[in-house]
Amino acid sequence: MSIFQLHVNGRLHTVDIDGNMPLLWALRDILGLRGTKFGCGVAQCGACTVHLDGRAVRSCSVDVGVACLSRITTIEGLSSDGSHPCQKAWVELGVPQCGFCQPGQIMSAAALLKANPNPSDEDIDGAMRGNICRCGTYPRIRAAIHKAAGSKS
Amino acid sequence: MSGLFRVTRRDFLRHFGVGTGALVWGCYISPKGLFAREHLPEIIHNGVPLGKNNHFVAIVPVEGTIVITTHRAEMGQGIRSSLAAVLADELEADWSRVRLRQADAESDKYGIEFPFEAKEALPFPYQETYKSKPQYLIPAEASQFTDSSRSMTAYYMPMRLFGAAVRLSFERAAAKVFGVEDASQCQARQHKVHVGGNSIDYGDPRLLFHASKLGEPQYADIGAALKKPKDWIFINAAKKPMPFDDARDMVTGKPIYGADRHLPGMLTASIERCPVANGGIKSFDAAPALAVPGVRKVLPVLPLHVAPGGVGQAFVPHAGIAVVADNTWAALQGRRALKPTIVWDLEKNPNADYDSQVFRQTLKDSTAAQGMLVRKTKADLSDADFADSANVVEAEYYVPLLAQAPMEPPVATALYKDGKIEVWSPTQNPDVAQQCVGRVLHNLPWDKDLDEKAIKHVRETVTLHMPLLGGGFGRKSKPDYIVEAAFLAMQNPGVPIRVQWTREDDIKFSYYNAASSQYLKAAVAGEKTTALLQRSAFTSFFGTLFPESRAKERAALFNGGIYPYGSAIERAQGLEDMPFEVAKLRIENCPAKNYIRIGWMRSVANIYHAFASGSFADELAEKKGEDPKDHLLDLIGNGRILPLPEEAVQEFFNNGLPVDMINLPVEGGKILPMVAGFPPDTRHLRAVVKKVAEVSDWDNKVKQYKGTRRGLGIAAHRSFLSYVATVIDVSLNDANELTINDVYTVVDCGLAVNPDRVEAQMEGAVIYGLSLALFGEITVKNGAVEQNNFDDYPVLRIHQTPKNISVTILEVDKETPPTGIGEVGVPTVAPALANAIVAAGGPRIRELPIRKTLQVL
Repeated sequence: MSIFQLHVNGRLHTVDIDGNMPLLWALRDILGLRGTKFGCGVAQCGACTVHLDGRAVRSCSVDVGVACLSRITTIEGLSSDGSHPCQKAWVELGVPQCGFCQPGQIMSAAALLKANPNPSDEDIDGAMRGNICRCGTYPRIRAAIHKAAGSKS
Repeated sequence: MSGLFRVTRRDFLRHFGVGTGALVWGCYISPKGLFAREHLPEIIHNGVPLGKNNHFVAIVPVEGTIVITTHRAEMGQGIRSSLAAVLADELEADWSRVRLRQADAESDKYGIEFPFEAKEALPFPYQETYKSKPQYLIPAEASQFTDSSRSMTAYYMPMRLFGAAVRLSFERAAAKVFGVEDASQCQARQHKVHVGGNSIDYGDPRLLFHASKLGEPQYADIGAALKKPKDWIFINAAKKPMPFDDARDMVTGKPIYGADRHLPGMLTASIERCPVANGGIKSFDAAPALAVPGVRKVLPVLPLHVAPGGVGQAFVPHAGIAVVADNTWAALQGRRALKPTIVWDLEKNPNADYDSQVFRQTLKDSTAAQGMLVRKTKADLSDADFADSANVVEAEYYVPLLAQAPMEPPVATALYKDGKIEVWSPTQNPDVAQQCVGRVLHNLPWDKDLDEKAIKHVRETVTLHMPLLGGGFGRKSKPDYIVEAAFLAMQNPGVPIRVQWTREDDIKFSYYNAASSQYLKAAVAGEKTTALLQRSAFTSFFGTLFPESRAKERAALFNGGIYPYGSAIERAQGLEDMPFEVAKLRIENCPAKNYIRIGWMRSVANIYHAFASGSFADELAEKKGEDPKDHLLDLIGNGRILPLPEEAVQEFFNNGLPVDMINLPVEGGKILPMVAGFPPDTRHLRAVVKKVAEVSDWDNKVKQYKGTRRGLGIAAHRSFLSYVATVIDVSLNDANELTINDVYTVVDCGLAVNPDRVEAQMEGAVIYGLSLALFGEITVKNGAVEQNNFDDYPVLRIHQTPKNISVTILEVDKETPPTGIGEVGVPTVAPALANAIVAAGGPRIRELPIRKTLQVL
């Protein structure tokens, strides 16, 4: 066990944990931020996507010892009130079905739009292929990203 | 007699937290109203006993918030908001003042009774299932079982009736408040009752006082008060889209799923399970796991007196050893340390030799011999029909074992305290889960159904809360993971234990959709198909859920669930009701034994039956040189209600709903048209085929693609009482790599109560169908599943998803009852895709998944 400082959603948390603990479990079990979801544990599904310094990463596969070097943003920190353009577009277009993968989808989409404010379908496919949705909401995810891009510009 | 009554159950009030000042309305829901539609007014006139305490709506006085209980499991179908919105629509509730309350497992409150004592035996399926009194249209145990795409079909009319009943009582109360003689002068609109120039809010204590004093409206009046379609607000999205209240919580990461529930002092368990069904534990060493920081205990899951689960043991979990720790990561680390020390007991276990590749041949061999007769035309087949080999087409199709892989892996939290267990777990089957936990708590037998007294005791001592399901697809109909949590909780009194499955656990310990081999043979003469034989071999889930000793008992219940043959449920999913009209037809079910847990996955036996019949229709078209769409319509024939009783199908399961309208003789010699029938009617199938040909521009595209490496495929199927036809447009490149360009799908689901969620379900079902058709395959060696995670059990990703998935909902009369939606879009996908590949100049694919034959771009 070691002491780590984690910068999450603009706050500094001091934790005493195993440095090999994946960020996902530190967020969920230690910090109580349960919006970041566990889907596969091996960076295959993207349900656990968070931002490290604005980049989308799979928190199940980043150790706390590494994550502590960056500013971490989770779905809880994306907006205080669900007002991020992606969150709004997701609700307006009725994207979610079971909804479990959507925090991860939105974190990937938000990172994409930051880097590329007007993505093509191909750009979206490239950025979102790491996020599985078993309900099959992909067509609406594409539409919602385009919509969020439009509302930004 | 009346239909609405006041209840003051304190426990109910406590549960939804509105305080004991709230006025709570219970309502007996008339099953006569459930499907009766136009007959409602006359049948509700007969007077109805109050029945049991059904709790669907409460109102908070002064504040006027209407609390609507939503009792089904929400797993992506949007049912939580949809059912409540149906009620709110009839109630004229202002949705911004409606609050949803998710029911716990409390199935006895939501069953729907027959209001009359039937003088004669009820027709199938009611005669056997519901022969005990009181008779139920929806028995308690099925009321919360969210499965078989039935939530809306079953509860659409009850929700409407209940909403209308409460509105009517408010209107009558308003008449009292304002001293108006004729209550028909009072009109409820959006949370207020208007009387002349005055209005009164639903929360006004005067209104509630009079409503509670007045007694309840008669059913005749409730039926007459149902809104006309022109006045609907949410139903069929008439004026406003249906609400979807959970969407906001979902996109902001609110802790609404199973694993999100945190309790003080909670420990997390990860379980290393025996890879083989019915295996046991020989030995293990707890020391290495206990050495991991944060690990508290290492415990075998099953007590010694409980035999490990698997085949024939229903929901008893696999033998396993749990590592219980402070947090998930510590539990996983401990499990890693534990694993090498375990020696499993696989002696005398036939499941340990199970090899899915070998079994594939066993299934094929099974279809080589005559099976149990399922259906035949009066004119039976003989060898002579197939004598002219030049005019015979035969084919074998194979679909492997499939895992559901819902996004949230199974999870359950249980707390044992003061002789009771409290559970928080996502489940499609809360009633059975509750009973299973009760078996653990009270040490009740697993090989017998619980009697009424035991069930009552279980309901008093086991509380099960239902968070949202992060996907279900049939996996979460099986509560083995909840049973694990209950066993561990019993060993740790006062400590909440969360059992967290990994994705690997989910893939390796599913209740799999059965592998199936299908053999079809037809004789053709010119454009006609003169004879058709179909043999279907699949492992029934009945062999998993019930020990062989109980097979007979279950057979009585579900007609023919005779090990090792299929149950009536599976046979009615595209085998018995195979839609093609052929002069000589014979359908057989061939035996297949069980060596692994078999359950069901979204659309179940329809997957392999539709793949076989849909592909074979295309092969016949190819043989005859006909256009596949025209040929499909020819093969379906002019359209008819399938003459199943005349063709040896005595009791067609029909998703648990009657084929014909039930005319029930009751007191006074009256005959009441009780329940609408849902016959398998191929005229509906023809209609969706024609529509999908139109929206896909079939005729023009077929011409346009001729001679290119692009092609269209078509398939049509009835499942869960709905009709679907699908066209898929694909391209192959020079390396025979596959691209799916477009998917067009058309559904007739009766009234689309929530059209946006119908479209969403159909889009999702296309993608689910593509996943299984392209990639889905579970294989087994030495009784153990070989796949692990999404890397070796891939599912469709966004870049593989066609750019255009077009969904068309067939317009129907607004009085048509709604039929299934959640699963119905899946079965047509695989055959339409396989047929499209042939049209594009590719190979005929008779074995899923397609990636075994073609590279998918």
